Amino acid sequence: MGRYLGKRSLTGLLTVIVVLVLNFFLIHLAPGDPITILAGMDNPSQELIDITKAKYGLDKPIYVQLWTYIKTLLKGDLGHSIIQARPVSQLIMERLGNTLLLTLTSAVLALVIGTALGIAASRKPGSALDNVLSLIAYVLYSMPGFWLGLMLILLFSSTLRLFPTSGMVDARASYTGIAYVLDVLKHMVLPVGTLTLIGIPGYFRITKASLAQVLKDDYNTLFLAAGMDEKKIFRKYCFRNAILPTITTFGMRLAYVIAGSATVEIVFAWPGMGRLVMSAINTRDYPLLMGVYLVTSVSVAVWMILVDIFYAIADPRIRYS
Amino acid sequence: MGEKQNLLSLEDVCIGYETPTGTVRAVVNATLSLSAGDTLGIVGESGSGKSTLAHGILRLLPKTAVVTGRMMFQDVDLLRCDAKTLKDLRWKDIAVVFQKSMNSLSPVHKVGEQIVDIYRVHVPQATKEEVYDRMRHLLSVVNLPDRVLDLYPHQLSGGMLQRISISLSLIHQPKLVIFDEATTALDVVTQGQVLSEIRRLQSEMHVTSILITHDVSVVAETCRRVAVMYAGHLMEVGPVDQVLVSPRHPYTQGLLASFPSLSGARRRLRGIPGTLPDLKAEPKGCVFAPRCPKAFDRCHESMPPAVDTGTGCTVKCHLEGSER
Repeated sequence: MGRYLGKRSLTGLLTVIVVLVLNFFLIHLAPGDPITILAGMDNPSQELIDITKAKYGLDKPIYVQLWTYIKTLLKGDLGHSIIQARPVSQLIMERLGNTLLLTLTSAVLALVIGTALGIAASRKPGSALDNVLSLIAYVLYSMPGFWLGLMLILLFSSTLRLFPTSGMVDARASYTGIAYVLDVLKHMVLPVGTLTLIGIPGYFRITKASLAQVLKDDYNTLFLAAGMDEKKIFRKYCFRNAILPTITTFGMRLAYVIAGSATVEIVFAWPGMGRLVMSAINTRDYPLLMGVYLVTSVSVAVWMILVDIFYAIADPRIRYS
Repeated sequence: MGEKQNLLSLEDVCIGYETPTGTVRAVVNATLSLSAGDTLGIVGESGSGKSTLAHGILRLLPKTAVVTGRMMFQDVDLLRCDAKTLKDLRWKDIAVVFQKSMNSLSPVHKVGEQIVDIYRVHVPQATKEEVYDRMRHLLSVVNLPDRVLDLYPHQLSGGMLQRISISLSLIHQPKLVIFDEATTALDVVTQGQVLSEIRRLQSEMHVTSILITHDVSVVAETCRRVAVMYAGHLMEVGPVDQVLVSPRHPYTQGLLASFPSLSGARRRLRGIPGTLPDLKAEPKGCVFAPRCPKAFDRCHESMPPAVDTGTGCTVKCHLEGSER
């Protein structure tokens, strides 16, 4: 296991480096640059553009820029945002918590609810409950997150006035302590609800399909013949066997939680990573974009290793050597 | 032979599977009895209803199956007893060794853990140590080391898993063990070993057993009595040394001619031309008539009843008791 971990960490690191280099070229080769945006649309002076370019090192050949970037990275510095003129790490840290509040909460909720409903539907295949749940899952699965978010805003904010339409806190009130927490919770309901609803069908369908398979396994007949309670067989044996694909799916989802969910964050004006990335793309903020992509790729690399480890614990047939 | 108390007796058992296009008649009017200490083999081709009959005895059939008739296990009617009685009976009195032993344990739980769970169904307060002690003995009977208990099923070979299944079936000292194609998936060498272990169980531990197989030689090696099944019907039932030596039914004759004999002259294997009939259709005459080399007019008109030949055999054939 130790050797395997070492090998996986090494390939993970290599992946991150390849992604970093590829991203660097892609971002810099894309049309437009941050200096043009900084200089403004009206009457930009060529002199200003040249000076700013030199200041950020953008006048140098691209491989030199890459080398400079890697050197600062090795010092543990993600660089400075060109547009916002602040350290990239600071910008990311500000948004990370907000995004995790949204994506992590909804990822866990979707896992629990989706799996529970999948189990409920599997207990009686073809029953009314199964049919209704499958239909709902089908509808939710085909629903874009931003549209669902808008509909929820229309219904619960505009019409019923139960929840705020957008933001993370009430900007007019400056709450502290419990009141602040409650305020954030109130603002969380709709965006978390949206992300949870569109996340549920995946887990629902995986659980259902996996259980349909597992319930036909031969050990069911043996345990039944041995007089074991059907409930016990289901709880102990079927569940453990059926949950394996869910572990993979959930692990992959967790790898991306720090990237946020751009469309839903935009609809709900949530100050998270997704929106940070969107604005960085729009303004060609090279260092910020690189920083966010780097953090995401590291997260994916680490989570894939964690998923593999957890999978080996859950399924004894998988052993790494 | 008939004086002994019957352990299991089936009377006119019919098992049908309901499908949208009609009922599949998997077992038709099966009448059979088994006395304590007896060993019965049920042979037949794939799809002849042998496994359905075995699963029917433990009420393990899917909900689409309709079972009629009477199945008496000692004084319990297996078809009509309540869930509690059935649950108490399962494994404690009747145990099964299934065909696909490689898959008959959960792949993500240790063998020992699953066996402890099965043991605790009837002895809830049993400790792991007690179960392991009991298993150690049973595993030694089938020539397995007890370390298999701490392994996962995928770490064991098919033959080892089959042996585990056999020792697991004996854990509560059941009165009846059904071996459902228990050696079919094994290679001949392993099959030979497992069969000799089954034979030992029968003689040393006096296990009453039903052995279901499509291999006549397996029955010849391990059973005292045999039932030959075709298209859901028990065509010929009787002592092995009669049925397999001088078969009365044309189907049994055909089945025996399909197997090579190790001793004696080499002869052409004959096989039986044709295939199993459609089990959904209600046959007009004898189910075997379309393939029977000796079929005559009456065979195409009605299914023959089971006739006692007076030598301990029952045969379903119009040739019996008529112009033989």
